[in-house]
Amino acid sequence: MATFSADVYQNEFLPDGGTDVHAIVTVTCSGAGEAGQSGSGDAAEVVIVDTSGSMSGENIAAAQRAARAALDQVLDGVWFAVVAGSHEARLAYPQGLEPEMVRMDQRTRAEAKAAVTGFRADGGTAMGTWLMLATRLFAGVPSATQRHAILLTDGINQHESPEQLGAAIEAARGRFQCDCRGVGSAWQVAEVRMIATALLGSVDLIAKPDQMAADFGRIMQQSMGRGVADASLRVWAPQGAKVLFARQVSPTVEDLTTRRQEVNALTGAYPTGAWGDESRDYHVAVRLPAKAVGQEQLASRVQVAVGDVVVAQGLVKAMWSNDDTLTTRIDPAVAHYTGQAELAEAIQDGLAAKAAGDTDTATVKLGRAVQLAAQTGNDEATTRLRKIVEIDDAGTGTVRLRRSIDKLDEMALDTASTKTTRVKK
Amino acid sequence: MTGPGVGGSGQPVSAVVEGEAGGPLSCGSCASPVARGERFCEACGADLGQPAPAAGPPVPPEVATTSRTCRECGGDVGADGYCTRCGASAPSLRDHFTEQPAGWVGAVCDRGIRHARNEDAVALGAGSEPGSHAVLVVCDGVSSSTDSDVASLAAARAARDVLAVSSPQGVGTATTRVAASARALVAAADAANAAVIAHTTSGPGNPASCTFVAAVVDGPLLVVGWVGDSRAYWVPDAGDAQLLTVDDSFAAEEIAHGVPRAVAESGPQAHAITRWLGIDAPDHTPRTVSLDLDGPGWVMVCSDGLWNYCSEPHDLAALVATTGRASGPEPLRLAGALVDWANAQGGQDNITVAVARVGLTRQVATAHSTQPTDTSASQPKPPREEAGPDGNVLS
Repeated sequence: MATFSADVYQNEFLPDGGTDVHAIVTVTCSGAGEAGQSGSGDAAEVVIVDTSGSMSGENIAAAQRAARAALDQVLDGVWFAVVAGSHEARLAYPQGLEPEMVRMDQRTRAEAKAAVTGFRADGGTAMGTWLMLATRLFAGVPSATQRHAILLTDGINQHESPEQLGAAIEAARGRFQCDCRGVGSAWQVAEVRMIATALLGSVDLIAKPDQMAADFGRIMQQSMGRGVADASLRVWAPQGAKVLFARQVSPTVEDLTTRRQEVNALTGAYPTGAWGDESRDYHVAVRLPAKAVGQEQLASRVQVAVGDVVVAQGLVKAMWSNDDTLTTRIDPAVAHYTGQAELAEAIQDGLAAKAAGDTDTATVKLGRAVQLAAQTGNDEATTRLRKIVEIDDAGTGTVRLRRSIDKLDEMALDTASTKTTRVKK
Repeated sequence: MTGPGVGGSGQPVSAVVEGEAGGPLSCGSCASPVARGERFCEACGADLGQPAPAAGPPVPPEVATTSRTCRECGGDVGADGYCTRCGASAPSLRDHFTEQPAGWVGAVCDRGIRHARNEDAVALGAGSEPGSHAVLVVCDGVSSSTDSDVASLAAARAARDVLAVSSPQGVGTATTRVAASARALVAAADAANAAVIAHTTSGPGNPASCTFVAAVVDGPLLVVGWVGDSRAYWVPDAGDAQLLTVDDSFAAEEIAHGVPRAVAESGPQAHAITRWLGIDAPDHTPRTVSLDLDGPGWVMVCSDGLWNYCSEPHDLAALVATTGRASGPEPLRLAGALVDWANAQGGQDNITVAVARVGLTRQVATAHSTQPTDTSASQPKPPREEAGPDGNVLS
């Protein structure tokens, strides 16, 4: 039986007239069990592999190995299907007149792996059609409460309009989660990130084809370890207050604010997808009407709900004080994650400016990123930034753009921009 | 050295520890099993921070929800102690709670304003028929000692439970009934003392201790027992009010030696008590008195959080009359209004007021008569001391 806990880190003291309360809430799940085993519903997996013409040669062989590695990790009894994607979506397994999924067992696993081995690189790229087929497949298994896909691509979405892709993403939103991977340097991080963000999944770069199989196996293994099919973060704020933002800050930065679904007038729910044994940190900011010095009130109830059942709750408080030593202290966790979120934004803005040819803005933004990475102790980000900029002074954020930059290094910096380090507690 | 007990030195108010889904609950303070919906731990008296039970003693609905309604916006207070609408912090159930086992009795126990926690406690028992049988117990935890809030509540409840089953309830002659009540009061003080000792943590610091006062209404008979400076008053509708107890305090000893009450009770040592319940108590045997209740009026038991502001019986009678005109005759409302009044005077200490409305049964036919015709009511009978200061009731 999965159990959740919620721990709050904040400075509850506000100065006279202060209105904004910030808190980091660490949500921890333990005893999650395995996907589809909790009794609350089945699990279903769709493996989507790009088989467009650009995949020919080393990539398609690596993609076959990766798909087989993923299939090896799917637990017996889990519903599954394999989609081969080009300018159209083809159901590679199971093969039938109508798109449908089958349960994993010894026979279907062997058949699916054989079907994958028959992949040939041919045609264009229209990822929206791949998502549409996956949405149809999942809809055919109403017993599956945990629905997850892996999507692999190597190119730009050339053979359909951005509107068509956008519509396919919206049709898939809330129907399944999707972890996305791009192989090589010919794909667009922003385009694939759009899919992953909407479908509560991750996006990452696979620089070399031979890394693909290990990565796919790991993603599927992680998905199989998520025994809680679906949980949501609920944020209650008192009457007259406003939730300024709600964002996941660890393991990656994801702004949840616009994903709010109303539970009641004072409570919003933000979908967080499936959970395994793990911790995630959330940053919640609430603006309250100021009260008199000495008064205390609850600024927010931050809850975890599985279905309609609240399984954990953390209390964010506000206490007005005229003691400066209390009110001026910034909670270390809040400071850390505020810096990490700004770091992600600075990297993405800097790379976007560089891509647009705006060298000045790119230098300023990436300089700020170097400064924040140093301040928050994010050494991995510093290492990735160093491949893009020469660092003259990390303390002041003084940098120069490098003359020759490997495209893969730039993409690695982009995809990893949202990954945060945990605050040292 | 600090003992391993959770309640050793921290806040005694503790959450219920949830078991596995649907499994047993336990007290966060002493780990004893507790029932879902219990307000306080039966074993240690710790506040469980849960809503008032749905079942239990017959409590009027407006009373049951009083402590769970937000004082600022009128919204519902959540199980986490904050309003579900405006987020205002609600007082904990240990800091402010009420008792009303029957409609003709009522008690309010409140933290007051100056103290960080409520170490007063109250426990009531009553028959459903007005004036039939009631037990009012107040214990005031000594604030300089450890865990007095937990100990005082356990003590008050232990005493109430003894008195509820061992009082005579209308059997025998008046004399034997008074003697039986007095013996029951001694047993109740024993049980209360044992409860305090059971909630005394070993280690440094002053051991838990509290005062004790209990009033037993047995039809027209009132018997009171006490240890310390919590008091019982008789406030008849007509005639002079009486202070039935004599404080076991330094101030009372001064009064006995001729120092005016107002001077003695405001001196630096005024609140030093000479007798108490607890493991270090030299003698916890209650002194007892009895009184014939020969007309309608209020039996009141209170802690010094009230009488500090209104000590003299005639002042208290005037206060009850004034407050009662505003609050109406409902016992819980009157007790609450008196607590509010003490808070308005400064709320320097925890405040507990328990009242029982007696003598009304035979007045029903003449309920509209505002002036009793019985002139003897204006000449109060002195209370009979049931035992000397040595406390030996059976001598």
